Amino acid sequence: MGRYQLSANDLQFAREFLASPIGYHSPGLQRVLNRMRGADWAFKYVLVVERRHARWRLGRMPLKRGSAIEMVEDVVYTDLLEAERDIFRRRWKDLTARPLDLGSDDAA
Amino acid sequence: MLPIVAYLDKLTVAPGERLAVMAGSFGAHTYRADLRRIIQGDTNPQGPGYKDEAIALDLGGERPAEAKGFYPGSCVVVPGRGMLSNLDDFTLAAVASPTLLDERERTVIAMPGFARIGIDAEGHVFAEALGRRLATTGRVTRNMWHVLSLAYSGGDGRLTLSISAESDAAGEDGQLEAISVPATAAPSGATEILIAATRGPNGRPGTFFDGKIDRPALFSAAVAHDTLRRLLADFERLSRTRNLRAAWDFSRKISTQTICDVSPFQLHGRIHNAPARAMTGWLWKGQDLDWKKRPDLYSAIHFHSTDMYDAAWTVDFTFTVPEGLGSGVYAVRLVPDGDEEAAYYCVFALRPPREQASGNTVAFLFPTCSYLAYANHRLGMDVPGTEIGMGRAVELDRHHMFLQANPGIGFSVYETHDDESGVFHSSRLRPIVDLQPKVRSFLGGFGSNVWQFNADTHILGWLDHIGQHYDVITDEDLHAEGLQLLGRYNVILTGTHPEYHTGNMIAALQGFTDRGGRLMYLGGNGFYWVVSFSEDMPGIMECRRSEAGIRPWEPGHGQFYHAFTGEYGGLWRRNGRPPNHLCGVGMTSQGFDICEPYVLSPAARDPRAAFIFEGLSKTAKIGDFGLAGGGAAGLEVDRADAAQGTPAHALVLASSTRHTDIYLMTPEDLLDPTPDWSGTQADIIRADLTFFETAGGGAVFSTGSIAWAGSMAWNGYENEIAYITANVLRRFDNPDRFRMPGGREDGQPVETRSTES
Repeated sequence: MGRYQLSANDLQFAREFLASPIGYHSPGLQRVLNRMRGADWAFKYVLVVERRHARWRLGRMPLKRGSAIEMVEDVVYTDLLEAERDIFRRRWKDLTARPLDLGSDDAA
Repeated sequence: MLPIVAYLDKLTVAPGERLAVMAGSFGAHTYRADLRRIIQGDTNPQGPGYKDEAIALDLGGERPAEAKGFYPGSCVVVPGRGMLSNLDDFTLAAVASPTLLDERERTVIAMPGFARIGIDAEGHVFAEALGRRLATTGRVTRNMWHVLSLAYSGGDGRLTLSISAESDAAGEDGQLEAISVPATAAPSGATEILIAATRGPNGRPGTFFDGKIDRPALFSAAVAHDTLRRLLADFERLSRTRNLRAAWDFSRKISTQTICDVSPFQLHGRIHNAPARAMTGWLWKGQDLDWKKRPDLYSAIHFHSTDMYDAAWTVDFTFTVPEGLGSGVYAVRLVPDGDEEAAYYCVFALRPPREQASGNTVAFLFPTCSYLAYANHRLGMDVPGTEIGMGRAVELDRHHMFLQANPGIGFSVYETHDDESGVFHSSRLRPIVDLQPKVRSFLGGFGSNVWQFNADTHILGWLDHIGQHYDVITDEDLHAEGLQLLGRYNVILTGTHPEYHTGNMIAALQGFTDRGGRLMYLGGNGFYWVVSFSEDMPGIMECRRSEAGIRPWEPGHGQFYHAFTGEYGGLWRRNGRPPNHLCGVGMTSQGFDICEPYVLSPAARDPRAAFIFEGLSKTAKIGDFGLAGGGAAGLEVDRADAAQGTPAHALVLASSTRHTDIYLMTPEDLLDPTPDWSGTQADIIRADLTFFETAGGGAVFSTGSIAWAGSMAWNGYENEIAYITANVLRRFDNPDRFRMPGGREDGQPVETRSTES
């Protein structure tokens, strides 16, 4: 189980991620991402390719092998970085029970 | 999803030989087949573009697409040969250690139509015979040995199910539970015995057992459970027991499919779907760790309901590969219902003729062992941490969606079975849906995200682009023919990730470079794992990941030696063949997000390396671009290390100088885990571009990076990484000997720092 719990202290890392979703990250952001992407999930967000290199749909893949992947209605991406940002926001909400609000530091 | 999938009976074929095509419909009604030469399989718009070539060969017209299924699950099948009748009294027995208990009923041993012992959905042992069904009140325990027996005595007219749990921790006798009911004798109509399964209504084996079974036996008398335990523990005594009808010692002929009966009746059987043999048995308590020294302790087979060897599909059609067709990578393309976008590609290597050299002096070593290791891998689907290693969300294309919906297709050696034990075997006798062009991957880095075969097509595409004539030989060819095959060539090029090798292959490659051959290792994490082929089971490969290495599972205590060959499984580095010795570099780290350029070192100015950079302006960095993570150094990277066998005279021409903190140290080097072994902190995490000459006049050029080929394909193959590779290929293909620096050769002094004769 993941031990690390997201808090308002991580808002700085949320900002860092949204500015640059892929590549070099600060240790603090890497810890947030490890929590979001690690094993401690009943399902995983996945990008289901609809058109190669051009169009992806958001899916929720259950942990149990062979389970049907549930497609999230009306979520389509045409840019992988935008997909990363959207998945980050969804996970922030899943883990903190509050939407990611970078306008105020008590959002978490 | 894939409306049609297929496989061939071989991955390598010579001109004039036949190939059989087995296709299965998963929605398609009809299909047409044609033959294509695969040139470049990456569809990334930033790349050189997908390219194949139609070969004029009539493979027939439209064919109906037949639905065919996957039937995983391993067991033993023993034909009765008339010896399963006259069992008025009987005892059916086995020692079993279940590794998975869930909502399914499982069979330990069955005489279909007569008697069966199994474990029900709640974990109770049950038995069926003579119209009765019995079940224990107690439940079995996972990973614990239990002696199970079902006995009938006509004398007292009672059918008795007995079970004793055998504690490993204490030397005490196990606790016995026995249930007995009255029953009337009935003749056995059984014609076979199945171990770890029984016949289902469709005639196929079913209700598979997940776990280990040791020394199953059948007696023509009711044997008391305590007596039975003593007999089963002593095969010599058991085999002399007068009322023994059959008893199977799985420690005999471990490397084969044969199951040996130790009774005088010789009711031998065969395994089905390649369960794991050479596994520690009931009596193994750590006395030895090598099954070859104490085979008697390795008398268990680990069965899985998810084992898969041969899909055994019916043949749709066969064809002869034309004489005169040049060696290369080809695919039988199946276009379902006229939809080319949904085409399935059965990829194979057309090797040069067996008996005569083609005249080509360059060969691409098509890494079928590594393709098999990853065949139908599910890393991004089954392993949640894959996304951490990728540094971004998992992408699933149609072939991944097919795998998710069809786990019965069988696993790669990256998966665990449903009981969480490692998958030791991967087979080519089934569709391998990731051995296709156009497929996406999990580990290929931000950008093209291609892996193994499809990543290797960046090299094939480049060879086509520069007009290089070359042969394609496969790992299986090299394993079978050794240095005799390599001796035809001046230069061997590897793929991007030639990670898995048999002993024959490593020895042949080392012999090749030692004797003047030139090796271009255009990848990363190469020559890492030991794998074995079976002499008794064509098309299947074994891999036991012992001791070290980045690995998804361990083989289990005492189970580090391969069943197929007796070789010690694990890393070549621990088996006297470190990759650094063969190619100068060895695996050091991995990360699947972004890649980096190499920074040239002073060694790049060494006159010995002048040919490598000929015609290039020497900038400080090379490869700051690419289709794999945006750089030439990355994904999996290797370092030069004299302590691991890198020759002292090797030149490290350039190195990557930083990676993201997703890149961590390999377990074999991370002896003391401290938090500074990451890509932004540890200098040891780097790709070393390495060159050295061999005493026999050969030479080795190693990129130490999987991402290298993704940079070769950048800008339509017009870039410094592609030019460097071409320079090396040109000189390596020149038979003039390379000379060792500063040493003596053939007894004659040689000039220090000279390069070429």
